[in-house]
Formats: sequence, C-alpha cells, structure tokens
Amino acid sequence: MRIERIHDNLWEIPRSGKMLVPARVYASEGLLRKIQEDKSLDQLVNVAHLPGIEKYAVAMPDIHWGYGFPIGGIAAMDAGEGVISPGGVGYDINCGVRLMSTALSEADVRPSLRKLVAALFKNIPSGAGEGGKVKLSDKGYRGIFTKGAGWAVENGWGEERDIETIEDNGCFPGADAGAIGKRAFERGKDQVGTLGSGNHFLEVDVVDEIYDPAAAEAFGLRPGQVCVLIHSGSRGFGHQICTDYIDTMLGYMRKHGLELPDKQLACARIDSSEGRGYLAAFAAAVNYAWVNRQLLMHLARKSFCEALGITQRELKGKLVYDVSHNIAKFEEHNVNGESKKVCVHRKGATRAFPKGHRLVPEAYRSVGQPVFIPGDMGRGSYVLVGLPGALDETFGTCCHGAGRMLSRTKALKEGQGRDLFSELENKGIIVMAKGKKTVAEEMPDAYKDAGEVCRVVHDAGIAGMVARLRPIGVIKG
Amino acid sequence: MLDCLVVSYEILDHTADIRIRAFGGDMAGLLRSAVLAMAALMADTGGVRSDVTVTVEASGETPEELLVHLLSEVLYVHHTRRMVFQGAEVEIPDESALRAVYTLSGEPYDAGRHEPGYDIKAVTYHDLKIERAGDRLTAEIVFDV
Repeated sequence: MRIERIHDNLWEIPRSGKMLVPARVYASEGLLRKIQEDKSLDQLVNVAHLPGIEKYAVAMPDIHWGYGFPIGGIAAMDAGEGVISPGGVGYDINCGVRLMSTALSEADVRPSLRKLVAALFKNIPSGAGEGGKVKLSDKGYRGIFTKGAGWAVENGWGEERDIETIEDNGCFPGADAGAIGKRAFERGKDQVGTLGSGNHFLEVDVVDEIYDPAAAEAFGLRPGQVCVLIHSGSRGFGHQICTDYIDTMLGYMRKHGLELPDKQLACARIDSSEGRGYLAAFAAAVNYAWVNRQLLMHLARKSFCEALGITQRELKGKLVYDVSHNIAKFEEHNVNGESKKVCVHRKGATRAFPKGHRLVPEAYRSVGQPVFIPGDMGRGSYVLVGLPGALDETFGTCCHGAGRMLSRTKALKEGQGRDLFSELENKGIIVMAKGKKTVAEEMPDAYKDAGEVCRVVHDAGIAGMVARLRPIGVIKG
Repeated sequence: MLDCLVVSYEILDHTADIRIRAFGGDMAGLLRSAVLAMAALMADTGGVRSDVTVTVEASGETPEELLVHLLSEVLYVHHTRRMVFQGAEVEIPDESALRAVYTLSGEPYDAGRHEPGYDIKAVTYHDLKIERAGDRLTAEIVFDV
C-alpha cells in the first residue's frame, strides 16, 4: 500500500483500483507504524469505495481494526446521491461520552473514595445482561424515541439545564417507531440506565493539568476539581437495529447490483426507502443512548450524595458536555470551495466544531465545542476543544479515544498472574468491575497513549488540548 | 476424533473485537461449531446445565448470511431470555433452501454459578467467508464486543 506524507501528522493513500477518493490518516510517524500492524488501513481504503463519498476517507490517530469501517474512521457522503451505511455508524449507535463537573476537590472525596466507588458500583447496573431499574412501557419507549434526553429530564432524571450541553440538545429528529423491529424493542426494554460491559465505564476523575486556561474556564474546569466521565451507548436496542438494517441494506445492494469490498459496509442510498427506514430507526437509537447516559449521570449524582453525605446543591453536578462518537449526521461542510450538505459518518470519531459555529452551545461559542478523549484506566483522559482545522480538513471531526493496541486475548495473556486491581490501587485508583477478565482486557497496556493521540490532533490544528483528567475511581461491567 | 472434526473452533487475533475460526465436516457441523463457540465466548459453558431447550430457525440468501442469521438468533435468545447455552443441535432440512432449524440447550444465567464472558453486541459480516479446506468447512467470524 502506497502512503505519502502530506505533513508531519498527515498521510495520504492515493486513489487506486475502484477507490472513489483518496484516504487520509492523521498520525505521527510512531503512531502510523503501530497503525500499520493491523488491517485498519485496508478498512479505510474500503470506505473510500462507498458511493457518494466526498473529498477523502479520513482516519484519526486512534484508528484501529474494526469491522467494515475502521474504528476512528470518518466518511462524508453527498446528502442527495450518497449512501448511508449502518456499519459506518456501528452497532452501538450513539455510543458516546459525557463529562460532569462537580464543586468537589480531590481532598473532599479521597477519604471516602472507596465508599463512593462502592456506591456507584451498587447503584449503576453494569455488566453483561444486567437489567436497568427503569422498565419501559410502550408510552415510555415512544417518549424516549421522540424526545431523547428531554424525556429523562421530564421524568425526574436530571435537570432542565443538562439538555443545553448535549449535542443537538439530546434530541435527534425523525425517529419513527414503525421503522424499528420487534427484536430491537425487546432487547432495549430493560437496558436503559445500564452501563454495559467491554470498554464502557464510569470514572471519577480529578482535573490534573490545564493546557488552555480560557477554554477550561469556559467549560467550568479548574485544577484539582472532581469530575465524572461516563462512556456508554444505546445498548441492545441500538445493536439490534444495526443488525436488522445491515440485512435490509444487503437486500438493497442485491437489488441494485451494488458491490463493495466488505459486506459489513452494506449501505443504501440515503434517499431510498431502505435508507430512510434506517435513519428513522437510527434516530430512535440515538435518542435512546442520550437517555441512557442521562440516567447514568443521574445515578452518579445520587451515589455521590449518598456516599459523601452531601446534598445535590453541595455537589453541583453540572453536565459539561455530551459527545457522540458512533453517529451519522447531516451537516453543511465545505466541499471543494462550496458549502454542501453531507451525511458525516463518525465511527469512533467525535464532532469537534470550532468557536463561532452555530451548533456550539452559547456558553462555549467563544471558545469552541468540548471534546472528551477517554484514555485508559491508568494514564487518564483528555478534554479538548474543536479548532478551525477540523472544519477545513476533517468534516468537523477529531479522534475519540486512545485506540486499542493489544487484542483482548493478548491483553488477557499479559494480565495473567498480575493483580491489576492492586496495581491500579497503588497508583491511587480504585476499580470495581463485574468481571475480572474485563479489567485485564482493558488494562492500560492494551491501549495507545491517549496523550500521544491528542497531541497529533492538537498539532494538526483539529482540536486543542484543554485539560488532562486523572482517574481515581472506575466502575466497569 | 470425529467429534473434534465436527465441533471445533479457535480464537484468532483481532485488535478491538473477537474473531474466531469455526470448523465443520458439513454445513450443519460448521453452524453447530459456530454456535457453540459463541456460547463459550458469552459464558463459561463448563457448569451450564441443559435445563431448557429452545428451538429456533434461520435462513439466508447465501451460506454466509445463514450463518450470521443463525448466530444473531442465538444472540437474541441469549439477551432477551438471559440464557446461557452448553449445547446445540443443528439440522438443515434442505441444503438448497439455505434454512436451518436448531435446538439450543442451556439454562437461565445465574451470576452465582456462571462466569460471565464477553457481552457480544452483534455478529458481523466483516471478512466472512465460508470455505472448504480439504474435508472440512471453515468460517472466520468477527463478533462485535
């Protein structure tokens, strides 16, 4: 595979064969070497074959081998002639991250940290197959689909102002219950308000370092402050919708003689009954995920008050922002000098709009949209802010995480004979998890250094580094 | 020896998800191996009793689709009925019709007795090919976890 260097942090794979556009990768030389160890660049090249793709298939420095699209991949499709690909969003529709700030400092929490992590672990359902505390009626389901996070707030799980700092105010338009299969309804029925397992987590963090004081101030972040980072998605509801619609898309491709290098890229024209059907079901799952994270944050607020014996007023749990990193969105972007409506697929990639953009909440418009990059359990996470380079080059998108480096099986092998819980505790991090295996698979060594990944997007002018978060408590499935 | 040919799988490397290779003497054997592999990934099947049996059907336009549909059905039963499995019998009444009927045996998940495995979200089509190698069929499958 030919790879050309554009600048220190950007590489291009020129068009060849049936590629419709070139592919571009943002990475340092060191990260590129790691990226080339798996098949993620082949997957990126496959994405460049999708009908209607504009400019180039883009990958962020956290790119790694997924299925269909690589994780950390971006593709913008012409909204008229282009396609929508459920695999380009992923099974976990609107998987994302939210950060809640508090009025507490590390010193307020440290003496009761074990009690706090235990309360979070008790109150927040996690792990494979664990049901949530909210049982949905048909009416409840309809509320979730159409209202998104607003439904949760209406029902007492949060505050009105939470809605203001969620992408799209936590409500994605166009959901239609008629487009959703019976199985998705069933799988989602008791999973709202559950964390899940795998790489999903809830983390208690301390703001450890500030790189951009103005942006940090706008986001309400100060050194030593305790925050909560939540990573989860649309659970079985979204997984089943994606499963169902990949089959619908395979049918579409057969009907229209459309061939692609990987079946997992199955897609249909946006403006087709199959495309519209997926988008209507997808919108419901996007809203479901926002409700899910809203409920998880509510349970976190409750756990803090319970464990520390404080009131909500003393906690001041404020939602800094909620970002989606498995999503497709219709947005206006500059394509070859003209503003054009495109459908941006972000598969393991985060929207990162710069200051002044009308979709950035008013409170942050003078600095730009907050972006959260969860790292591993040991080395911490980062808060970034969208920069103009993102709009110029990456369809307003930046990375979403550290990116896996070791496979789960390799991580398990490395973790054998090690007491990872004690190792992390020695670093001042208390971890509680349903499965010991999960902690081994998710151990710090399994991931690239999130700092290195963030440095690339920072240097490339896509998203600027604002603050570093140091974990002190983690719950996992 | 025969059993090894009929029921077997191995875990292959994959960065973010779980990739396996399943083997079978014929299509029914391959499907059975794939189902048992997935069951073992979802929970330690060692202590699972066969108290409950569930019969399910799947079909597809291609053998690969049949395989994905069948595994997706098993996943659906696992998630909605909270069941873990230890056995599977697969019948293909008509090979040309690409339809399979299969019976799963297992029991409801019990956190006290069953060691949880991967929370498999979905069965993907990524790089999925059913191929004949000598006297057996093989399939490489990526599960999203």
